[in-house]
Amino acid sequence: MPRFDPLALGVMGHAIAMVAEEMGAVLVRSALSPNIRERRDASCALFDAGGRMVAQAAHIPVHLGAMPAAVRAAMGRRPGPGDVLLLNHPSHGGSHLPDLTMVEAIADESGTSVIGYAAVRAHHADVGGMSPGSMPFGARELVQEGLVLPPVFLERGGRPVDDVWAIVLANVRTPDERRGDLAAQRAACRAGAEGWRALRQRTGVETLDAAGAALLDYAERRARERLRPLEGARGAAEDFLEGDGVTDADIRIAVSAAVRDGTLHLDFGGTAPRVAGNVNCPRAVVQAAAVFVLRMLLDDDVPTNDGLARAVSLSIPPGSAIDARDGAAVAAGNVEMSQRLTDAIVRALDAAGLPVPAQGQGTMNNVVFGGAGWTFYETLGGGQGASARGPGPSGVHVGMSNTRITPIESLERAYPLEVVHYGIRAGSGGAGRHRGGDGVVRSYRALDSCTVTLLTERRRHAPRGAAGGGDGARGRNLLNGVEVPAKCRLELQAGDVVTIETPGGGGWGG
Amino acid sequence: MTWAVGVDVGGTFTDAVAIGADGRCLAAKVPTTPHDQSAGVLAAIEALGIRAEGIDRVAHGTTVVTNLLLERSGARVVLCATAGATDLLRLRRQDRAALYDLAADHAPPLVAADAVVGVTERVGARGVATPLADDVVAAVVASVRGQHPEIVAVALLFAHEAPAHEQRLAAALRAALRAALPAGVDVVCSHEVLPEIREFERTATTAAEAYARPRVARYLAALEARLAARGLPAPLVVTSSGGMLPAGVAARHAAALALSGPAGGVVGAAAVCRAARVPLALTVDIGGTSADVGVVVDGAPLVEAGGDVAGVPIALPRVLVETVSAGGGSIAWADDGGALRVGPRSAGARPGPACYGLGGTEPTVTDAHVVLGTVQARSLAGGVALDAARAHEAVGRLAAVLGAEPTRVARAIIASADAAMARALRRVSVERGLDPRTATLVPFGGGGPLHACGLAEHLGMHEILVPPFAGVLSALGLAMAPERRDGLASVLAGAEGLDAAAVGAACAAADTATDGVHLPDVAFTARVRYAGQGHEVETPVAPGDDGPAIAARFAASHRTRFGFALERPVELVSLRATRSGAAHAIALSRTGDGASAWDDAAPRDDGGTLARTVRGPVSVALPDATLHVALGWTATALGIGGWHLTREG
Repeated sequence: MPRFDPLALGVMGHAIAMVAEEMGAVLVRSALSPNIRERRDASCALFDAGGRMVAQAAHIPVHLGAMPAAVRAAMGRRPGPGDVLLLNHPSHGGSHLPDLTMVEAIADESGTSVIGYAAVRAHHADVGGMSPGSMPFGARELVQEGLVLPPVFLERGGRPVDDVWAIVLANVRTPDERRGDLAAQRAACRAGAEGWRALRQRTGVETLDAAGAALLDYAERRARERLRPLEGARGAAEDFLEGDGVTDADIRIAVSAAVRDGTLHLDFGGTAPRVAGNVNCPRAVVQAAAVFVLRMLLDDDVPTNDGLARAVSLSIPPGSAIDARDGAAVAAGNVEMSQRLTDAIVRALDAAGLPVPAQGQGTMNNVVFGGAGWTFYETLGGGQGASARGPGPSGVHVGMSNTRITPIESLERAYPLEVVHYGIRAGSGGAGRHRGGDGVVRSYRALDSCTVTLLTERRRHAPRGAAGGGDGARGRNLLNGVEVPAKCRLELQAGDVVTIETPGGGGWGG
Repeated sequence: MTWAVGVDVGGTFTDAVAIGADGRCLAAKVPTTPHDQSAGVLAAIEALGIRAEGIDRVAHGTTVVTNLLLERSGARVVLCATAGATDLLRLRRQDRAALYDLAADHAPPLVAADAVVGVTERVGARGVATPLADDVVAAVVASVRGQHPEIVAVALLFAHEAPAHEQRLAAALRAALRAALPAGVDVVCSHEVLPEIREFERTATTAAEAYARPRVARYLAALEARLAARGLPAPLVVTSSGGMLPAGVAARHAAALALSGPAGGVVGAAAVCRAARVPLALTVDIGGTSADVGVVVDGAPLVEAGGDVAGVPIALPRVLVETVSAGGGSIAWADDGGALRVGPRSAGARPGPACYGLGGTEPTVTDAHVVLGTVQARSLAGGVALDAARAHEAVGRLAAVLGAEPTRVARAIIASADAAMARALRRVSVERGLDPRTATLVPFGGGGPLHACGLAEHLGMHEILVPPFAGVLSALGLAMAPERRDGLASVLAGAEGLDAAAVGAACAAADTATDGVHLPDVAFTARVRYAGQGHEVETPVAPGDDGPAIAARFAASHRTRFGFALERPVELVSLRATRSGAAHAIALSRTGDGASAWDDAAPRDDGGTLARTVRGPVSVALPDATLHVALGWTATALGIGGWHLTREG
């Protein structure tokens, strides 16, 4: 490999990032469902011919380090130039089933060889399974959660594989919307492929290959530079998920962190074994949490690519709740286990003496309403942890999520629900020299009979303060003013009011 | 002879351009007067050296609103909001300020939590759920009065559809507060400021209007008085959407002036595109600290729904302008990963680039140009003598750190700045389904013509139009732009169910809202989406259209932009009417007096008569900028002034 001119690195960094951003722009502006368009629960990434991720346009961190596994799985099917695959299987590059990942094997100008991969992951509002929204409460098997897709060909030899489209659309509740969102993903892949081809033509094959490799090295170098002053630091932490939707028993997540030889080593020994319910997660989600925490320590301008992952090493106990395989249910793992993994890693770094913030709300507060012919899914912000630099922000998504709230006026127009109250949960942030951010209160009144599924956390174990700061307030879920469990499915009559009080963030400093 | 004058207030300079009835142009540049911009505005007009009686129009782009939002120096506002939803300004849309920096928070809202008064009332999607009771009105009025506001904002849920509660409350507040301040206390309602669904965006925009209005009104009144004292006409003010409002009207549309400054630049570029008959253009205005990127389609700036200004959400239509922190003053440095970096730190105007000799020692983009000779010591406008030796020293020091030849480093600095700007240009175009390769690049500002060829090459573009008066283009565009007012009406209905009469009624409502029915031209645009989508596409509405006709036009443009259309119901969200006056009838031309004497050794274009074609590489000194024609490019002087560049191959 020829050495790449460091003076040209900035130019190529912009050029490659530009292609990934273009994919994101096409996806967000053309997708149909609010979940992708408004909440931006989606990610786009570009890979070189060897399957190394050279750029990612991140809208949501939970996909951060997880896309390479999807492309590796797709490459295992040996796609030809221009072929497109679709997957969501957690053991084959997926995260949880609603995240459909599309991968295009980018053809060169002559259409004879594969010169890279464009990958687009988007959270779809429904992929079938036992309950609308495909985030079922109480699922024990993967097949209950929706249609399971190992990498399958969606286009082959320049033609759509109609049978696969037919199977996908026949197994979801809202096929028109799925068709629209998949078309948007397809358009985004195409934009990535065209951009990559054009860039290759402009710079030349060897320059682009060398630039890709140099950018990975550069990101790795920046990450290791950041870790260098922390060499020798070590610390351990444990944290808990509050039940798996089948039982209420705590599920332990343990991690010990050490910075050694410029690498962040994370050992999850002691983490609970696979659970019956659906808070398990595949290794790719652990990878995403680890890269997210590393990213938190880095400056904003460090490029997001596979080079970052080289500065992290993971040890994950086989058969544990964070090594989901063999049909383990995972729907909530991606949204809640990912939060707790982040919390645990951050706390281990705190124990190691790193300047990290107190814990944030640590849950996405998943709320799914469903009635005759409709489903509505949203997640609620809460308090962010305070840090040495200042108080924690209030009413935001923390950690691995960053999706937006649905406007009250849009929600009420579309569904038979009324938002009775939506405000800051004053005083819920932890005390301290810097206060933790406050959670929110959101109350919904059912105008028709319907069901609501709540998938929430931090109702038992409060978000912890840091450096002597107080804990944030635990969250609460209420039906007509009476507390209900953190994870439950409720049948509502017209007039019933469901209230979610989200957790506050931990305070910082005594 | 009569003159139309445009005045653009920037951070450092206030520019004025006068266009005579015969097409002659005059330009002047004076320092901006930050404490009272109107002093600089008057000074700039006087610097043009024409008699006041000859000036029949003054058009103005201002940064007053942008600055007061940045400085948080607006009015003390009390906000009345539906009880149960009084924290909207703090909650925003729950997205955090930075993805990976967990300590970062949004700027605090313009109205503090204790200045929000809850109103017990509720309108829902199915109509009034809780009526607004008389005793509630009385209690709210008492509570607002106790807060001694300068101005009151009223933003209730669903007021875009059913404004009656806002209207009643506003009337009661106005009556009760009439005597509270000498000029009374103004009340701003959300259904008037932004009659569109989405409560957070509507409330935030209403709060911004109230926050900015009193100071903007004072500024515009002072400006008008200052101009009147010299026998000059009352000014027109450019809005964020490229509209042009009489000062008295602009004073009641303060939030719509938030991007008045940058919008003026794109309005100027659009005027030149019309004169040169350029159908699709990407514009880039490169200054000292940043570059502003925009799009001009068919001679009009691309207008979109709003976003944040200085951390304040303002959802009013605006000329698309994306700002990149890359400019002539951007500082080049080596990071801890061994890479050459350019910006985001800037040397600004003070100390400025090393070559200014004002104390700057770090190498900037301008210094790199000096090292390469693309900017020559004698070619800088504004009377600054460039010190080439200091530029060489500064770039040389960085070159030593990077272990590379200084000229290679200088080239890399420029390439890196180009790449950052190209990325923004590409983003703004592809996000809108436009292919930059089919567009003409229109570079302006002091640095635009220097970087044009490099940017075009990054983007695969083959044509560049360097406008006349590139360094003061905003002011030129303001002088040329017609009066223009926008009005909005909420629709939110399925297109299928709208007959021509219903569309016509909505158009009429939007037209009334323009408050400009005396202006001769009117055009309508609908914001349209597929049911379920959260983003709208601006779709033109023709007279006599019914819903299905608009839906068909929307589907066609959706296909062009995104590559597909859907079999799915189509919704109209809102309708916008645009009223405009006759365009100022002027023909740009190179004037005979002061014809440029061409010197191949030191090419220079003073704006006089010039017929010339040159091949790159060559630098041409313009009155207030430098044009760099790169190898492979051919440049031809245009009859309207400025240059047209094409790339071979």
